[in-house]
Amino acid sequence: MNMNLTMKAQSSLKKKFLGFIKEYMILVAIVILALVTAIAEPRFLSLENMTNIMRQFGPLIMVSLGMTFVIIGGFIDLSVTGIVSLVAVVTLSLIEPLGQIPALLIGLALGAICGLLTSTIIISCGALTQAEALFITFGMSTVYGAIALIYTGGETNHLSWVTRDTSLFKAIGQGNVGFISVSFLIFLVVLAILWVFQNKTYMGRAISLTGGNKTAAWLTGININRCIRTIYVICGFMTALGAIVLFSRVTTASPVLGKGYETNAILSVVVGGTSLAGGKGSVLRTVLGVLLVTLLSNCLNMLEVSAYMQVVLRGAILIAAIWLDSTRHR
Amino acid sequence: MTKTDQDYILSIRDVSKSFPGVKALDSVSMDIRRGSIHGIVGENGAGKSTLMKILSGVYTRDSGTIVFDGEEIKSITPHESMQKGLSIIYQEFNLVKTMSVGENIFLGRFKEMKGMRGTHEKARELLDSIGCNISTHKLVSELSVSERQMIEIAKALSFDSKLIIMDEPSSSLTTEEMRKLVDIINQLKEKGITIIYISHKLDEIFQLCDTVTVMRDGQVIDTRPISEYTRADMISMMVGRTIENEFPERPNCVGDILMEVRSLNTRKLRNVSFKLRKGEILGLVGLVGAGRTEIVRAIFGADKVKNHEILIEGKPVRIRKPSDAIEYGIGFVPEDRKIEGLVLPFAVDTNITMACLDSLTKYGFLNESSEKGIAQKHVDALDIKTPSLKTRVENLSGGNQQKCIVGRWLEIKPRILILDEPTRGIDVGAKYEIYLLMKKIVEDGGSIILISSELPEVLNMSNRVLTICDGRITGEFDPTKTSADEIMASAIGLCGEENEYESNYESAI
Amino acid sequence: MIKSVVSIITKQKAFLAVVVMFIIMLFFPTNFYTQYNLLDMLNSASILMIIAFGVTFTLIGGACDLSVGGNMVLAGIIVVKLLEHLPIWASILIAVALGGIIGLVNGYLSVYHKTEPFIITLGMGTLLTGIAQQITDAHPVPCRNMAFMRIANSQILNVVPTLVVIMLAVLLFTYWLLRFTQFGRNLYAVGGDYEVAKYSGINVRRTKAIAFVLSGIFAALGGILLASKLNTGASTYGDTTALEVNCGVVVGGTSFAGGIGGIPQSAIGMLVFAVLENAMNMLNIDAYVQMLFKGIVIVAIIWLDCYTRKRKREAV
Repeated sequence: MNMNLTMKAQSSLKKKFLGFIKEYMILVAIVILALVTAIAEPRFLSLENMTNIMRQFGPLIMVSLGMTFVIIGGFIDLSVTGIVSLVAVVTLSLIEPLGQIPALLIGLALGAICGLLTSTIIISCGALTQAEALFITFGMSTVYGAIALIYTGGETNHLSWVTRDTSLFKAIGQGNVGFISVSFLIFLVVLAILWVFQNKTYMGRAISLTGGNKTAAWLTGININRCIRTIYVICGFMTALGAIVLFSRVTTASPVLGKGYETNAILSVVVGGTSLAGGKGSVLRTVLGVLLVTLLSNCLNMLEVSAYMQVVLRGAILIAAIWLDSTRHR
Repeated sequence: MTKTDQDYILSIRDVSKSFPGVKALDSVSMDIRRGSIHGIVGENGAGKSTLMKILSGVYTRDSGTIVFDGEEIKSITPHESMQKGLSIIYQEFNLVKTMSVGENIFLGRFKEMKGMRGTHEKARELLDSIGCNISTHKLVSELSVSERQMIEIAKALSFDSKLIIMDEPSSSLTTEEMRKLVDIINQLKEKGITIIYISHKLDEIFQLCDTVTVMRDGQVIDTRPISEYTRADMISMMVGRTIENEFPERPNCVGDILMEVRSLNTRKLRNVSFKLRKGEILGLVGLVGAGRTEIVRAIFGADKVKNHEILIEGKPVRIRKPSDAIEYGIGFVPEDRKIEGLVLPFAVDTNITMACLDSLTKYGFLNESSEKGIAQKHVDALDIKTPSLKTRVENLSGGNQQKCIVGRWLEIKPRILILDEPTRGIDVGAKYEIYLLMKKIVEDGGSIILISSELPEVLNMSNRVLTICDGRITGEFDPTKTSADEIMASAIGLCGEENEYESNYESAI
Repeated sequence: MIKSVVSIITKQKAFLAVVVMFIIMLFFPTNFYTQYNLLDMLNSASILMIIAFGVTFTLIGGACDLSVGGNMVLAGIIVVKLLEHLPIWASILIAVALGGIIGLVNGYLSVYHKTEPFIITLGMGTLLTGIAQQITDAHPVPCRNMAFMRIANSQILNVVPTLVVIMLAVLLFTYWLLRFTQFGRNLYAVGGDYEVAKYSGINVRRTKAIAFVLSGIFAALGGILLASKLNTGASTYGDTTALEVNCGVVVGGTSFAGGIGGIPQSAIGMLVFAVLENAMNMLNIDAYVQMLFKGIVIVAIIWLDCYTRKRKREAV
């Protein structure tokens, strides 16, 4: 019995190593990418470039972090596009009458409310699969986006037109605390909170189990509906946060601000290694996913790789990530 | 052999098949006479379906030979076997519900039939030949069970089948529909087609079959012409076995009435009512599809059921969803552990603590060290063999997986633990461990509702047995005082009164 | 006979929706009921309908293709670029073939590698859009070929737009494929019940893969016609095309569980949105309010579809 166990342990060690590489492929890729770039072009490591990279992070990482929970829970949320646009225009419009802090808070609340609405619709019709959620959230995205357009009459408003104090938004968009940008700081705080939520709380575990096996989770007493509501509210809230960071930086709020965010967020999450099948995944991985995607353009530009090659490489990484995801579960 | 081989359309010699942990077929041999109606009887797990799936090409056998119509069959796909003239009609039917009758009959043979018109014309012919007047354009989803069966027969005929295997054809048929089926079967016999008829309804077996093979525990017990059997013989052969030390001593801790279920009615169940006592192991015996799982799912709140009553310790309780049931101290180990019980890609400790997360939560946060402690406690207590607590539960053997689920429920110290096929697919050693566990649970004051397709298991572990047949409780027995044959007979619906059950045990108190 | 016709109509919620909209429009004094408008409506909808017919194949087979937007855009750009060097027929042929190859890759990855089709096609769509942007540097590529432009901007017999005629031709062809060929019938079986289809000897993987190829081909065709209509190859379209088209097909009655639906249903599903848009235009409803309505209609119909399935599931 003991003999068998050791032999098994040895071969399983090898398996473990390979498994480790596979699991952390993305980290490996990032490290290699960074190393190669740093060696070939030392400018990569300059403070200026690092700050630049950190800045590009902001909005996408917020939305992607929110999306991570939805995907872990076994669903998907395409309504983030609409929510970004809606929150941005509403928040901006409320600064003048209400002041920047109330406007900010209402904006964040709005994102959460949108998430609540979406989840209520999903729960009420008993949608349990990702495909069903796909179409419902797509419809909701159109709805939220349309509300944004109606609200502003299609016009884009500028932060600079606001006569009241907008220093908070300027700080989020441009400000620095020492070397680190304010938005990066916000990101770190939020990441910490979300990480703790995912790994240390009851709801985090419940969401994970729901995504892993809805039936088994339900049969052990987990409230599936509550989990669904939670994931969409978190996603809505995080999307709202991303919207605020975005419009703080570009200082305009266009009612189509959110264009493209849903696909980029989903892809970042998948590239990061969170499985679309649900259950397994982590916010840290999503950070890596966004990092890789952001880093890719930065590094490739530094290395002066042609634009065409960049697209090809980006596509290749995408396909590889998706393929890896599927093989991990066969 | 005085008879020539030509007389046998199918000869099976020493066919065996094992699955991980269980030997489904053990050196099975039988000969099927051409043009006969050959019955196969046996309880759940006797090996009938496995044998049929091997014949039809769904499974491959481990060893043995099969000779069909003079040709030795090495390995075959389901489609090839149909083309050779061997068709099988499953209990669940192999039909695409979203397509029409005509297209289902000729599935995949559209071109051969020269398109839609040809398909429907030929389908019409086939249906008419068995006296069935269903429109070929109707969707299968709109058909009743009996009608779907006709389609499957027509499909078999479309392949010029020489041998048609029917697996439990009469479940869900009315008496009138059954009569029609008997007519058709006789018609097929006149055409020279051989039929293998698998059923637990002994009336039908005696009515239709020329020869009958009885199987048990993956082996053939005997094959005889029907005239050489009596009902009693058959039941004995299905059930009888020498009981070795497979089971621990039967616990006897039965106390007062703990739970009462009244008037449980669903699509399948008819007015199910029964009581459960403290410290009792109540066994539910019945054939697959009789409604046992439906009963326990209703108790656990897993299905939306209305207008029934559940009383616990005399007080009515409302159980609408599993978390309600858990609050009342009911646990449920489901039938299919991989789909309903475990989150496969997750770790052992996560799976074990799934039901007790509430107790580990304080101010919303999980106490991870306590969690680890609980998981380790159960791994030790149940002797779960796993490299570590963090191993993915999908990598454990069936027995250990099952122990994880049982451990999960033990943690909440349930008053009532429902076990649905707890030892399915588990090796003998692990089975014994689970029996010991069951004993300990009732000795500690809990009650168990046990569903098992293995008759010896239920009979040896239960204090009381209810037989379920076609959604009704057909009998209540004390396994120490009743023979296995009698219980089995009740489960297959052979006792006189099918609509009420006799409270033998109750009246004895 | 009458009974079955009535039951078909009431089962087809999309058809009912279209009829209801037509009836509502009777009460308003607009140009809705003019030959010009009705033909124009059909014309505007034609390109998306062609793509929808392609997508119908994948949905019936039980998968979905979200790369059609990127496919469409890329095909349009490629055909315009090729026109600078090659005759029309060759350019079109190559662009269509490329669409088919993209479909083949989608199909291969989805079916033979068992990757979830919706994410692989989503990724593919993004990739294709990215490639399109790179090739054109995000500037639209103008087309100078007059003959090509005439394809989508002319009329047959001075009455019926050529585009509509092309759409009808595609409709008939795809209808024939689904209803009268072995492949089409097999596809229904594969989508309806994969296991049963497999046991009946159908090559399930190949059937599903071919569905993807068809989806790619018609998406490319749509893109080519779009390029002809706009006379440019632009990479700015196509973000929401995939979802809109899939939605339209589902609204029309093809379930994404697979196995049911068909070309006429998809046509009607797309018409629901086409008529909705046209009617709202006629009623001078604000463009943004239109968008709102469209979103609500999508959610409502999918909600109903899910809810019906939920009721069926819980009937114990």
